[in-house]
Amino acid sequence: MKLGVIMSDYRTGEDVLKRLSAEKLGIIFVGNGVYHAATKEAGKTSSILEKTGNLYVLTEDLESRGFTSANLDSRVKAVTYSDVVDLIFNDYEKIVWL
Amino acid sequence: MATRKLLFVVRALPYKTEASRLGLTHAISSQSVEIYLKDGDLVEASIAFIGDGVMNCLKNQQAMKHYGLTSIEGHMKNTLLLDMKVMVCKEDLDKFGIKEDALLMDAEDIGGETNTQIVPYSEIQKEMESVDHLLFC
Repeated sequence: MKLGVIMSDYRTGEDVLKRLSAEKLGIIFVGNGVYHAATKEAGKTSSILEKTGNLYVLTEDLESRGFTSANLDSRVKAVTYSDVVDLIFNDYEKIVWL
Repeated sequence: MATRKLLFVVRALPYKTEASRLGLTHAISSQSVEIYLKDGDLVEASIAFIGDGVMNCLKNQQAMKHYGLTSIEGHMKNTLLLDMKVMVCKEDLDKFGIKEDALLMDAEDIGGETNTQIVPYSEIQKEMESVDHLLFC
């Protein structure tokens, strides 16, 4: 299956996400999930970024929190709301929200 | 004649919940309750950001542009404009690798004269011990 995961939190959901598997897995960071893509704790990036190569972050939520694409981990692609809609409809068969 | 001291300790990330915004707006509104108090009684509020809460203090938040909401940064500026003591935990900033230049440190553009203080947690602990009421949000 092609599974898209919308990750909307920073402190919860990681345990569930780590157990998910799919032929194609994409993670879209929205809301407070953007901290996975834009911050480091004790110099370490979020372990969620190791889960897949298909990583996206919603620009609107990133900028609302005072970040820019310059703050992003290089593995994460900044996308707009319209891009997220395209990802949901074109790239993934199923979507879950964590 | 007495001064009641309040400390709002913000530990929540901004925007997904209202917790941090409510902490700031309650601290601000506490400055207007004096009309309900006896002459000479005062309420003095201060705010500390710890843990994930330090993310509320990043500048250049564009919540109005994207959400149509006043930003947490705007509320922080109002607290500085009211000369409230605003503290940010140094250890938590260090943990996230956030430097002072990424933070909202003053409200000069709206006439504020008070600055945000980056302090060790021990100083926030002292503040917690010195106040009459402690409110975590």
